[in-house]
Amino acid sequence: MNVHLTINGGSHTLDVPAQLSLAELLRDGLALPGTKVACGEGTCGSCTVLVDDRPVLACLTLAAACDGAKVRTIEGGSELLDRLQAAFTGHDAFQCGFCTPGQLMSALALLERSPHPSHDEIVDTMSGNLCRCGAYEGIAAAVAQVARVNG
Amino acid sequence: MARLVRTEAVVEGRVEQRYTVVEDDITPEYDLDRPPGVVGRPATRVTARSRVTGAATFTTDVRLPGMLEARVLRSPHANARVAALDLDAARAVEGVRCVLGPADASTLGETPALSDHPEFAGAAVAAVAADSGAAAEAALAALAPVFEELGFVTDLDSALARQEFIEEPSESERGDVAAALAAAEVVIESEFDAPAQMHNALESHCAVADWRADGLTVWTSTQSIYQAREQLATMFELDPERVRVICQFMGGGFGAKFGLGAEGVLATELSRRSRRPVRLVFSRRDENRAAGYRTPARISFSIGADAAGRLQAIEASAVMGLGTGGWAYPILEPAKALYACPNVHAMVLPVKQNLGPAAAFRAPGVMEGTWALEQALDEVAERVGLDPLELRRRNHADTDPGTGRPYTSKRLLESYDRAAELAGWDSRESLRGQGRVRRGMGCASQYWWGGGGPPAYAEVRIGAAARPVVTVGLQDLGTGVQTACAIVAAERLGVAVDEISVRAGDTALAGHGPFSGGSMTLASIAPAVRSAGHHVRTQLLDLAAEMFEISATDLTLEEGEIRSVDGALRHPITEVTSKLGNAWVTGSGSRAPNPEGMAVNTFGCQIATVAVDTATGVVRVERVVAVHDVGRIVNPMGARSQVVGGILQGLGFALMEERVIDPTTGTMVNAGLEDYKIPTLADLPEIVCEFVGQADPHLGLGIKGLGEPPVIPTAAAIGNAIAHAVGVRLRAAPYTPRRMLEALA
Repeated sequence: MNVHLTINGGSHTLDVPAQLSLAELLRDGLALPGTKVACGEGTCGSCTVLVDDRPVLACLTLAAACDGAKVRTIEGGSELLDRLQAAFTGHDAFQCGFCTPGQLMSALALLERSPHPSHDEIVDTMSGNLCRCGAYEGIAAAVAQVARVNG
Repeated sequence: MARLVRTEAVVEGRVEQRYTVVEDDITPEYDLDRPPGVVGRPATRVTARSRVTGAATFTTDVRLPGMLEARVLRSPHANARVAALDLDAARAVEGVRCVLGPADASTLGETPALSDHPEFAGAAVAAVAADSGAAAEAALAALAPVFEELGFVTDLDSALARQEFIEEPSESERGDVAAALAAAEVVIESEFDAPAQMHNALESHCAVADWRADGLTVWTSTQSIYQAREQLATMFELDPERVRVICQFMGGGFGAKFGLGAEGVLATELSRRSRRPVRLVFSRRDENRAAGYRTPARISFSIGADAAGRLQAIEASAVMGLGTGGWAYPILEPAKALYACPNVHAMVLPVKQNLGPAAAFRAPGVMEGTWALEQALDEVAERVGLDPLELRRRNHADTDPGTGRPYTSKRLLESYDRAAELAGWDSRESLRGQGRVRRGMGCASQYWWGGGGPPAYAEVRIGAAARPVVTVGLQDLGTGVQTACAIVAAERLGVAVDEISVRAGDTALAGHGPFSGGSMTLASIAPAVRSAGHHVRTQLLDLAAEMFEISATDLTLEEGEIRSVDGALRHPITEVTSKLGNAWVTGSGSRAPNPEGMAVNTFGCQIATVAVDTATGVVRVERVVAVHDVGRIVNPMGARSQVVGGILQGLGFALMEERVIDPTTGTMVNAGLEDYKIPTLADLPEIVCEFVGQADPHLGLGIKGLGEPPVIPTAAAIGNAIAHAVGVRLRAAPYTPRRMLEALA
């Protein structure tokens, strides 16, 4: 079926199978492999992308259900994302980096929605993104640092 | 001059004899009296840009023209025979390019990659490759397998009764344990049940194989690209020089990804037959059913001590559930080697079960063995009325208890002292409280290897722009070893760490490098990198000496400049390198053996503070103090991350992680991450981390490994803290609210 999507600012009209997930479309159809799939069941947060500014799990979202939507991925870039990426680097907020794109997209959604989140808000929001290397300390510190700079 | 030397290496407790080629090393040792320069200063990761932008290409991201998608048919039964399998029907599905049945892969690998007698739920029976994932899944359905179910054994007791073993049971004894136990003033009997902890690296096992007329290339998420290459060459009868294994970025492994797994075997055979690139990625549930776990075990001790708390005898036994594979990880090594106990008898029974094969998991054996031993030690302390840390000090081993060998360095006593100071150990009795929430503090010691060793080779080159390139034949699990290599090279070349590129994860690039395991990677490669860097340095200084008409011995490289020792001459390095044009100055280095006749070990102490809600049974770890002795710290930032990550995996083992097998079907009921819980940000305790070790004077660059040490004592410290808080010791982990409430009832 035909869907019209805006992906990282670019306009796409695509013919997608009804059962194709947004993650598969991004990774295989559009060569945007930054979005990672780790569980495929919506439990780990690795595939988090923004659909109309809301964080969604791309592995459980049907591409066909995103008709007319504005999709943003780790490849998209923004001034706030740049700052988050720099803060993640500075706080060593990753080891293997496999969960990192999902962590960053969750953090981006949080800070766009709530520029000055409390510590509890950061913990609640970011707890949906699993990191098996255990880089949580750096992740929380990086998000808090960017939030502080938000002024 | 290259020499062939024979050397001994301890790999996760197994002693290996190796021959290795070593080049003469003219690199001067670090000046121990000098304050740390670039080595020892925090540095962000050299791979950071790739990892935060999504640009890093993991195996699961590799896409090749014409690439096929593979899927694996797995048995849903704990033990079965395949009575029927319609391979032809699968081949007839549109878009299907290749179908492999059990007979097609029976000769591949030590254990067949596919079997018509799948001995566990999740065992692979058939594999298909097709133009799309959907076509491959349709082919799996078309296989219409018929299984004849057989009896199965999954629990440890039944497995022990059946007396089938993955390895022969083993025993070792020093002294006379029976006599010493009979004479001991205090004897405690203690038993612990360790759960099966699942690795759950977020990148599952995966491979992309591209079989071509002129050679084979395999991208795979592996902790050992060279081992994978050797296995491929042997299995498929190929010239190793025509086999290339690539693992540039890797989404974790934690021990489950050594060499070539079934994913690599199957993808390669499918590619060989279809003459197309083939990608095989395990699903999360397949990962947890078939790709390894930390061995569950029942660990029992009889420990005898004198009235002063000095250990007289340890009788230790462990029944380890290895499923259908793995090996007997050194689970009783802490009982044998952590304390100066004269009489120790240890017996290990590695039983076979109808479960997937076990795999090494970060400090395999030693972590769960420490978890049990260190709690038993607290029981001894309680019986003799001694402070738990004091008991450990009194039983400190000044030399390796098994061999009598001296340690290259050991700062365990300092670790105890510093951890106690940081944790406020002396006031721990005032923590407990009287209300619903009780607090407690517990400690545990850490023992591991981690000295590294040969073979490990590195190349360093520098060109006109003075941006050095370090090439190493290893793979980066995510530990930060590439950043550490850049730091070590930067020290010799006098440039900033971020001026250096590190190339790794590709057998076509470099000479042999170490596998990522045993906390050996950095300790193995760093001396080779420094030696290679030194060769480049001496050549650059020779060139500069000619240019500036000064003796090379009067020159040094610092902060991007060539300087004379007296400070009179200062030129940017590029003033020399720019003369190179398109040429490179190159240097190579190799890792020399460790000294013979000495024990190389890492040590440490962690102290956990917990809060136990006696009404809900919820245990919260509030604070962990970690003090480890791992020699020279190359990158304090990366080192802290390793410690925090290790503690979180130990916390997961202690509080929430456990494979659950349905006893009626023998299948795993929590193979997804919804039901198998791993720690999240909300579980993160306050972590205080320090290192007491200075450079080890007997090891190359004084570096010992850090990958495994931090995971080893955490769960034991938590168990001891709970016992301190509520006066009850839980015998089985994880310490779930249900188990906690049952224990309190």
